[in-house]
Amino acid sequence: MESDWEEVLMVPHPGQDANHLTSRVTTLAFDTSQELLWTGNHVGRVMSFIAPDLRKYTSFRAHPTGEVKQILFTDKGVLSVSPHSVHLASRRGLTQWHMTDEKFIDLRCMSFTSRGTQEILVAGFQDTMFRVDVEKGTIIQALPAEDNYSIMKKGSQYICAANGSGAIHILDPGTFKIVKVWQAHSSFVNDMDVKSDFVVTCGASPRQQQGFMLDGLANVYNLKTLLPLPPIPFQAGAAFVRMHPRMSTTSIVASSTGQLQVVDIMNPNAVNLIKQAHVYDSTCLTSFELAPSGDALAFANSLGYMHLWGSPSKIHFTEFSNPLVFADQVIPPPGHMDWSQDTALNTIGIPYYRDVLLSAWPSHMIFEVGAPPPKLDPILLANLKRSDNVSYAPNPKKLHRNQIERTRVVDKGSAIVAPKFLSEKAREAASSPNGERRIS
Amino acid sequence: DNTFHAEDTLYSMLMGELENGRLVRLMAKLGLINERPEYEHNEQWSETGERYYLKLFRDYVFHAVDENGRPVVDLGHIITCLNKLDAGSAELINLVSRDEQTSLIISYKELKKGIETAFNELVRGAARR
Repeated sequence: MESDWEEVLMVPHPGQDANHLTSRVTTLAFDTSQELLWTGNHVGRVMSFIAPDLRKYTSFRAHPTGEVKQILFTDKGVLSVSPHSVHLASRRGLTQWHMTDEKFIDLRCMSFTSRGTQEILVAGFQDTMFRVDVEKGTIIQALPAEDNYSIMKKGSQYICAANGSGAIHILDPGTFKIVKVWQAHSSFVNDMDVKSDFVVTCGASPRQQQGFMLDGLANVYNLKTLLPLPPIPFQAGAAFVRMHPRMSTTSIVASSTGQLQVVDIMNPNAVNLIKQAHVYDSTCLTSFELAPSGDALAFANSLGYMHLWGSPSKIHFTEFSNPLVFADQVIPPPGHMDWSQDTALNTIGIPYYRDVLLSAWPSHMIFEVGAPPPKLDPILLANLKRSDNVSYAPNPKKLHRNQIERTRVVDKGSAIVAPKFLSEKAREAASSPNGERRIS
Repeated sequence: DNTFHAEDTLYSMLMGELENGRLVRLMAKLGLINERPEYEHNEQWSETGERYYLKLFRDYVFHAVDENGRPVVDLGHIITCLNKLDAGSAELINLVSRDEQTSLIISYKELKKGIETAFNELVRGAARR
């Protein structure tokens, strides 16, 4: 973060419907391949906003219930997790797959594993974790979880998982076994970031009569040596932390009241820069994220507003970004058309095509038409009541709604019987005792 | 000359009729798959499902409104959309849900594929019965 950084924008996070101006941001994430900022809200909706003015791009309901806990990106789309489901949608908003399971009790977090972006590990405040195939959207394996996890992030060699009581479990991304346990804070971990070989955490500890309070330092851990490094002091109470994506030992720490500080992990006592975000009294930061380019940072406050920071002249989210796709401008049909009886419908042209048209009807389908109309049920006719022009009768509920009756079969039924040989007739006459003569 | 003229008229009439048949078949397919009550509790058709956009497309084509929110009855719009759908053009459109909360960007090509799959599923269901 350079010294010319300032707040570029503060916009309301769109509400869940017309009655709500804003909605709570439960998670923020910068896209890794497009100039988009993604948010999740407390009713399971995922939205994306275009840099740098945070115009709304797409929005979709990723989860029927529960808040969006975390968002991850693959080439194909956006992965999101809520307590009871995992969802993959394309960046344009189309659902790729949606997965629910009765064993998804309270999912909180996910992380890629050793197999690139093909597989994720999903865990939460429950006894099982799941390996999920990202391509197919299926559970590969359910694993017993050693603990309940609230945050997971993958470093270069390990998956770091924060549990509910302030410890960081360092997991092997291939076997998912615990390599090491590091007690970072005494009560819970509020935020954690992992970049290459460093883990930085913010957490809280219980204080007398005041409940929990955020610790006045951010703890640092080296994943190479598996040993803790000296912590970063932060008087205001460290709530969130992010490692800089390009400067590998620089981190940005934020307090819940919006004080931002840039610190070098290797030299934690020399503070580079302090900034104060404009946050109203009695509101606090709820999520905090740094763009993959390192040139923008975003956070959300408890009023449902999103803040975007950066240097106003060169704010961008990703270093090499793919262009966004937008809806094409619809060209209106030429002129005003008069739809009279004999205006041919082919006055509007069809675009050039190479594949089979959608209107092609499967040729193997044969339909029977021209059967006599079904007779009305006599019960229906008996209970008929007339009012104005319409007759009413209670529904006898014999058939399905809109069931098509096979009138031909019903009417003729046994009338047409295949002609029989004389011998067959004789046999039939013998078998039926009354010997009734049949008209054939 | 008169004969040529008559022939031309005949051909253009025929083309028109062919067009009608094509559009009716397309509308029949759309009518068959949209808003079936048995889909009410099907996850694929819900807001989080893979088929949700088919619902939104129906609204896009048939429930268009003008800037004052009044319904637009424009056969031109409907036929343009249906023709693009029929050919599965690569054009992208923006579909927005009724509460204006959901907003997707989708190509006619993807829509065509989705409708085809849904229809084939229906045909198979009919054969089983």
